[in-house]
Amino acid sequence: MDKTGTAVWDKMEISVKQCVAWRFPARSIWVERVDNEWHVLSLSPEGWRGSTRREPVARSQKPESSLWRHYLHKEVGPVQPIPVLPDKPIVVRPDRSLTLLPGQAALFFLEIPVWFRLCTTVPRRLTIFEESIVVLTKTWFGDPITGELCYGLATRLHQGIDSVHPSAYLAVCPLSITNDSDVDLAFEKICLHVENLSIFRSLRRLWTNRLNVEFRGPDQGTQIEIDREAPGFEKGLTLFAEARQPAAGWNIRKTFGILKSFADF
Amino acid sequence: MVIFHQFSTWLSSLSPDILARGLRIALTLILGLLLVRVLAVVTQRYIMRKSTAQRQMIARKVISYTGFVLVALAVLGELGVKLTALLGAAGIVGIAVGFASQTSVSNIISGLFLISEKPFTVGDVIRIGTTTGIIQSIDLLSIKIRTFDNLFVRIPNEKILSSEVTNVTRFPIRRMDILFQVAYGQDLGHIHEVLAETARANPWSLDEPQPVIVFNDLKESGVEVLFGLWFSQSDFLALKNSIMKGITTQFSVEGIHFASPNRVIKVVEGSLTA
Repeated sequence: MDKTGTAVWDKMEISVKQCVAWRFPARSIWVERVDNEWHVLSLSPEGWRGSTRREPVARSQKPESSLWRHYLHKEVGPVQPIPVLPDKPIVVRPDRSLTLLPGQAALFFLEIPVWFRLCTTVPRRLTIFEESIVVLTKTWFGDPITGELCYGLATRLHQGIDSVHPSAYLAVCPLSITNDSDVDLAFEKICLHVENLSIFRSLRRLWTNRLNVEFRGPDQGTQIEIDREAPGFEKGLTLFAEARQPAAGWNIRKTFGILKSFADF
Repeated sequence: MVIFHQFSTWLSSLSPDILARGLRIALTLILGLLLVRVLAVVTQRYIMRKSTAQRQMIARKVISYTGFVLVALAVLGELGVKLTALLGAAGIVGIAVGFASQTSVSNIISGLFLISEKPFTVGDVIRIGTTTGIIQSIDLLSIKIRTFDNLFVRIPNEKILSSEVTNVTRFPIRRMDILFQVAYGQDLGHIHEVLAETARANPWSLDEPQPVIVFNDLKESGVEVLFGLWFSQSDFLALKNSIMKGITTQFSVEGIHFASPNRVIKVVEGSLTA
């Protein structure tokens, strides 16, 4: 039976010689059980921009490809697809320039593409594979010697949740920013350590922890707090995926990219 | 059987004192060398497990060399060699050997400088002269490199200290510069846009720092373009192959022509008369 919305992340049984496809706008993933193996194919079809859904596929209909991967696993049992956040920080570039004046605070909602992770559940939870649903560009945040490799994401900073369309593969990250400095805070690049964030799930959306960021000036680090609880913007949220690297309490990091260019010719 | 018989006869002919001393020397050698080996391995694998490969290698060598010297001194002492006389003789011999082995001494001192200055460590990729490869070890006399076509190269430390050495992997990101020429008479603004889009579409090219696109020079056959793309160290080959394909494909699609050597010959009427 087809599943849509966040129901595509439901646990499901795949019996021997059964094939199931997860369809996302920018990626399709086929999983087939054959004897003691999981066969997996992941393709990023050009031009196809359909809806998100999970559907059974007749074996005669599964794509022929040399890219099928095979994973040995003896036990047969349900598999659990899990949305996880990317494995590197994300540098968010807002689609329009925004400046937060001194002493002001604002709440934004960012949409972060999740990765698809497929796990076994029997006899214990094992990751079969994981990969990105949307291929993000690679970027560098900081200077060429001490900076860090990140993914780049050009996105809109939503100022209300109503303008964020429900999606099963974009996690909504509530980002609260306070400008505690004496200077204007222009959002050119924001570095989010998404590997520290968990994913919560409702029937309509995926959410991350709420991030509270306090900007104290260009020469000082930015103080970041990650809310442990589920964000309170939607009822019935449950913790669905733990953070890759849980963060310890308050954290001071470089978050805002103010240098426009550091790579002189 | 005969050999064993001869050996036991020879043993029984020895005095108990010599036998005991021989046994002590054998034990000192076996246990001493074993201890040195175990100490070196334990230090490298467990005590310095979290250190860099370079530090592990230095620690292992310090322990090994010191241990060998101590075992040798213990054996010499057991043989009844007076160490003071030996050290005196060693001083005289040392001067003679020193004159004869100036290059080796120079290499050793250069090696100590290299270890303390740390222009590179084990595992780095370096380029020296025409040789590029991964450093396997930094020893007292030389460094050992494995080139990318799997050749083993030994370079004396003295040569490294006096040469220009490029550490290719010191920084996490690098820029790949591609130089080519486009034919005259084409819209350079359009070429700039196509190159920028080619970089954007390449998954291994970093979008920040931004790619460098410079119309470098007006050459004989066309405009020289410098196209520089930033990338993460591990993506070198993937970027190199894909960007070359990307440039040629996009230029073909957009109708942009690379420059090819051409020469215009004008024949002035009447100039070719004999």
